Amino acid sequence: MSKTEIQSIQGLVVEEDIPLTLEDLCQACCAPREYVVAWVVEGVLEPLGETPPDWRFTGASLRRARLALWLTRDLEVNLSGVALALDLLDEIAELKAHQQRLGSR
Amino acid sequence: MKFKDYYEVFGVPRDATQDDIKRAYRKLARKYHPDVSKDADADVRFKELGEAYAVLKDPEKRAAYDQMGSQWKAGQDFQPPPDWDAGFEFSGRDFGSGADSVHSDFFEALFGRHARGGQRPGMHARGQDHHAKVLIDLEDAYRGAQRSITLRMPVPDEHGRIALRERTLDVRIPKGIRAGQHLRLAGQGEPGIGEGGPGDLFLEIEFKPHAQFRVIGPDVYLDLPLAPWEAALGSSVTVPTPEGSVQLTIPAGSAAGRQLRLKGKGIPGKTPGDLYAVLTIALPPAVSENEKAAYRAMAEAFDFNARAPMKG
Repeated sequence: MSKTEIQSIQGLVVEEDIPLTLEDLCQACCAPREYVVAWVVEGVLEPLGETPPDWRFTGASLRRARLALWLTRDLEVNLSGVALALDLLDEIAELKAHQQRLGSR
Repeated sequence: MKFKDYYEVFGVPRDATQDDIKRAYRKLARKYHPDVSKDADADVRFKELGEAYAVLKDPEKRAAYDQMGSQWKAGQDFQPPPDWDAGFEFSGRDFGSGADSVHSDFFEALFGRHARGGQRPGMHARGQDHHAKVLIDLEDAYRGAQRSITLRMPVPDEHGRIALRERTLDVRIPKGIRAGQHLRLAGQGEPGIGEGGPGDLFLEIEFKPHAQFRVIGPDVYLDLPLAPWEAALGSSVTVPTPEGSVQLTIPAGSAAGRQLRLKGKGIPGKTPGDLYAVLTIALPPAVSENEKAAYRAMAEAFDFNARAPMKG
């Protein structure tokens, strides 16, 4: 394995600086366009904007879309199953946050 | 390079059916998906599963892999025999699980060249975007930080063969970054084919667990233990924050569980988070005669039944 020089670079925070278009999100997650459209219709992803060309996704969609892709492709979960799994994961995240707020008592 | 036994990864025999492999993959993938698993090494296990599945789920790749024979053991030193894959066609760039297409050097040596579609002349395609996680300290989010991250990327050499190359990127983590947010490093993903540009690299930020602070979005929580008299009579105590200590006034009559907010002392940003001190009461042990006397005096002085809320 060869090594190359060290590069110094600065990234942009997706959540604050870059709203993602439908194409951006598809490219970033390697997800087919029709999958992403179906996830929006099902409410798995909630972009701003009315029609697909106007859709703008936040950084949180990146993680959700990648998870949705894995559930769809590798586990062959259907659309409503994907929506249900993501809802439940959200709920677990909320419960964990609640637990964190309360602390170790 | 070390030989990888993809059957061993799934714990299935070499003559397992495609259905057996699929079942084994799904069962293990559910267990080790980093978004679902509680295992510390879930990330590593999940990548290993993805790589093994990318080979075994595809009948062509599986057949080529099987052809190398069963005498190989996992971890043995290995070089692919010349023309080991003659007669096999692998298709497509769409490959493996999700977007994580960086596999081991073993995988790349066997399948890497084909995974990218053979790079025919005149073919152009943008490189895939890559994803990686970066662990930072909570303090880094307050100050900003510089982090070296090492990535292994498959890169074609002058003969079109794919080799893994290690790249070190010195990434500036901006002040105010939060867990779960992504940094996009434009052009740092997979190289493009032909005139296609390179993909981007997305870094997902995660905080290392902290002994003292808990983080929820932009807000930071810490447990603040108080002596019973500090909580009852009020006091001024020194509280650590990721930016250094501050003096906090405890109002008289504070109960355990009360949250005191330090506005704007959470993670900085356009709308900075808050820091919450969650009060806990630490009970002093009564060991010496003096201490016991003090507890007895309290028992005398208070008309207090700790179990009053319990009926019966």
